[in-house]
Amino acid sequence: MSAPASPELASPSRALPVVLARERGLDPRTKILLVVACSIAVMSPQGSRFVPFVLLLAVGLAVAERAWRRAIGLPLAALAMWVLGWLLPGWWPNPVTAILSIACVYLIRFVAAIGVGAHLIATTSPTRLAAALRAWRIPRPVSVTLAVMLRFFPVVAAEAAAVLDAMRLRGLAGAGGLVRHPVLSVERFTVPMIAASLRASEDLSASAILRGLGSRRVPTAMHPPRFGVADLVLVPVVAALVAGALLLPAPLA
Amino acid sequence: MTGGTEAPVEAAERPRLSLRFSARDLLRVAIFAVIFIVVTYVIGMLGILSPLVWLLIVPVQAIVGGVVVMLFLTRVGHAGPLALFGLVVALFYLLSGNTVLSTAVILVLAVLAELLLWAGRYRSRWAAIWAYTLFGLSFFTPFLPLVLDREAYFATSSWTEMGEDYVRASDALLSAPVIGALAGGILVAAFLGGLLGSAILRKHFVRAGLA
Repeated sequence: MSAPASPELASPSRALPVVLARERGLDPRTKILLVVACSIAVMSPQGSRFVPFVLLLAVGLAVAERAWRRAIGLPLAALAMWVLGWLLPGWWPNPVTAILSIACVYLIRFVAAIGVGAHLIATTSPTRLAAALRAWRIPRPVSVTLAVMLRFFPVVAAEAAAVLDAMRLRGLAGAGGLVRHPVLSVERFTVPMIAASLRASEDLSASAILRGLGSRRVPTAMHPPRFGVADLVLVPVVAALVAGALLLPAPLA
Repeated sequence: MTGGTEAPVEAAERPRLSLRFSARDLLRVAIFAVIFIVVTYVIGMLGILSPLVWLLIVPVQAIVGGVVVMLFLTRVGHAGPLALFGLVVALFYLLSGNTVLSTAVILVLAVLAELLLWAGRYRSRWAAIWAYTLFGLSFFTPFLPLVLDREAYFATSSWTEMGEDYVRASDALLSAPVIGALAGGILVAAFLGGLLGSAILRKHFVRAGLA
């Protein structure tokens, strides 16, 4: 490891330009456009022909940011969906596999779209997202809210998973319980989840306000959003993928 | 409609009408929007099983959303946050495969709900319940294209991939009376969600000091 492992620890005087160049990756605005475009493409009428190419893009992005777990996990998840959705009903046709197949054929689109979205979430700090939205002249209430939501999503998702785990442990989770006692299950899930999320959010809110989140002055960005080499490289890659999606025969018909 | 608990507020003046958001407001909108989305998605995941389950799940989502929104509304004292809440939720739905039309309708519903709240001076419990009843119709927006352009709806979006049988079952299931009943059901469910929300508020959150 010749490069400084963590850029924050490197001496700022000399290492800063290098770190900036290395840290940059894609511009947040590029990533947002990419996520929106992929989501629309995959969910569109002919969306299935885009799925393999969006997956390819998502894996490429994961490799570029060296997120090996995602780079391996995404193709595995897609492969599982493909086996369950396309192969299994042929091998063993019955109602259960048919339902499973329908669900997987639908979910594989989400795997592709989430793969690209995960890159945005993993590599964009809320402050950089806010800077990017500011560069687009998005009104302050909207841009700040969206940036904070990005920060809150993992927190709330973790709390929801914890509550579901606890419910499962007591045998309360599942569709059966929801049908038999709808109000009670709703209450058992939402109340602890909201309470836990609100408690967690109090600390985050206090620290965000201390760091000047709600300030009315236009903040300057430590890493102002700039389009760079990575964005330039992405253009032909995306063009090639779109051409491939449109010209090659669709594999997931 | 204006009946309820705000009889003695005559002395209190109308809350400020400016659309300025404090940092706390923005954080509050963000956290509740995230909770709203996560809660409705956790419930909505069950709907993939079959079209019938899916139809039944939508009113449940409207009920559950009520708990979140009612708690949110107790913390809102002025104009704006509910509309902003609607906007960011609608933007998120747009990312997850909703149509532009649905997104626009959610925004309109949020603004109308905001007007109801304003009529209740942002203090009335009943105004909050009615406001959520209106906003709860946002759960109907995914079905809007079905009402407007039925042929195209089944030809497009995720439907072609759901398999012939699923589409045929859905086509038979989603007839005009069923869609109308669904809209009514969602409206009733949203009203119940508002009631349930305010009941749960009193039962749990006020006691825990969170409301």
